[in-house]
Amino acid sequence: MQPEAVELIVLAAAALAFAVAFSPRAASRRELLGKGSVGIVGAAAIAAVPTFDLALFVVLALGVVHSVVEGKRPLALRLRGPVVAVTLLALGAVFARVQGPDVLERLAAVGIVAGLAAAVGVLPYLHPIDPEEQLTSSPVVWLAFVGPVLAAVIVERAQSFLPVDAAGAFGALLIGLGLVNVVWGGAAAWLTESEAAAWRYSFVADWGLVLCGLGLIVADGQRAAILVLFSIVLCRLPLCLVSLEAPREKAVTRRPVNLVVAAALAGSAPFAGFAARLLLLRAATQLFWPLAVVLAAGMLLWLPGSLRLGRSLGLPKGRQAVGVALVLAVNVAVGLYPLPLLLAAHL
Amino acid sequence: MVEAAAAFVAWLGASVVVLSDGRRGLALGVALGAAGIAVIALDVAGPIAAGSIALGGLVAAAGRLGSGREGWHIMPAGSTPRLVLCIAAGLLALWVAAGVATGPGAPLRFTAMVVIGLSGARVLGGEDAPVLFTATGLLALSVALAAGTGLNAPEPWPFLAAAILAGSIAWISPRPVRAA
Repeated sequence: MQPEAVELIVLAAAALAFAVAFSPRAASRRELLGKGSVGIVGAAAIAAVPTFDLALFVVLALGVVHSVVEGKRPLALRLRGPVVAVTLLALGAVFARVQGPDVLERLAAVGIVAGLAAAVGVLPYLHPIDPEEQLTSSPVVWLAFVGPVLAAVIVERAQSFLPVDAAGAFGALLIGLGLVNVVWGGAAAWLTESEAAAWRYSFVADWGLVLCGLGLIVADGQRAAILVLFSIVLCRLPLCLVSLEAPREKAVTRRPVNLVVAAALAGSAPFAGFAARLLLLRAATQLFWPLAVVLAAGMLLWLPGSLRLGRSLGLPKGRQAVGVALVLAVNVAVGLYPLPLLLAAHL
Repeated sequence: MVEAAAAFVAWLGASVVVLSDGRRGLALGVALGAAGIAVIALDVAGPIAAGSIALGGLVAAAGRLGSGREGWHIMPAGSTPRLVLCIAAGLLALWVAAGVATGPGAPLRFTAMVVIGLSGARVLGGEDAPVLFTATGLLALSVALAAGTGLNAPEPWPFLAAAILAGSIAWISPRPVRAA
């Protein structure tokens, strides 16, 4: 198994442990543990199988299992994301392996990037959401739980079989798609009416940074991607869980804790997102400096959306307050000293 | 020649899955698709791979016969766009596999591309669970062919995995969606 994937599986397991420990209801805890464990096993299988094609079968199986989990969206909507992803990834693999003109190699890169976007549920393949749906059956499972492992595995394995000429197109497509997601996700998290949709778009915006990092072929880009994935799994996901289960308050809350949470979500110093953004800007500067300018401008879009999402937590109390404090502490620790996380991923 | 005929049968099977809404039509489609893929797999990856695909296809077809809308329902009213899709996908895949791509194995390339594409399209256009799961099972079988594309001697594991997946998916009965 590749080290990044192992690390992301451990992080997903930690997120699951957080969800189980700090969920307010006992029934919800049992359900989270059962369904989350299936997700962890699926993610581990994606990373453990030796070939790209076997990973596609695991994604398909996981997609089918997730689509039949009790939920409010129709089966067809839940199944489409993983099936379209596997279709595009398989077509990409076929185009990469056949002999022919360069255009086939570029089509392979398009297929794999589009398949990755469909699997995770980012633009242009946003999975429809239902604000009333439970987290275990919602698209957040793909965005924040299984998706990070899947992305690490697909990108690493695709680079191993894509021809050299197509690797450049692959990176450029990842960066282009990443920028689209940064802008769209950041703006939509701020402007959309539904709170659940705002959380979903905030994940999409974070994924934009991940795609940019994965597309930048320099080491700092890969480091930035793993740090953003860390902040998705162990910052945004737990805070999203707390927010969605928080009692709805009639008055808008602007307490210090809401501002601190907003800072963590926006990637401000000293949280992990800040280190990720610095590394990403450094990588972009090394490769093509105008890209760093565009990325820096895009990062400003996190601020209004994060303030809104920070307020949505209300005033955490009891068990949830401890959980929020723990998430913030872990993110400060990784933001101040990210080296162990990067070394564990061999980056 | 045998491979070309098998590729045609696989396209026909995938097209029947796209054009059918009834359990018999879907079962026939997946059986035909699996038969075509199995013959291609025999040449590409050997008898274990071919046998796995054939068995997986049979189990999937048998599972589909047990649930879904009664009857054949092949090309019901309003299915002209689906028919156009099947023909267009076949022509496009044929052009790419035989005209654009080079080297031996055109039937393998054609079958992989057309069955993957049509199965994915069926899931995008379908709403009923039996239709969705049939197309997903056929997609699994065709992804195994993608594993054999471009490799000199592909391992039988992807074919075994595809057969298990396709055979299992056909027997799933999803719970109805709860009312909001």
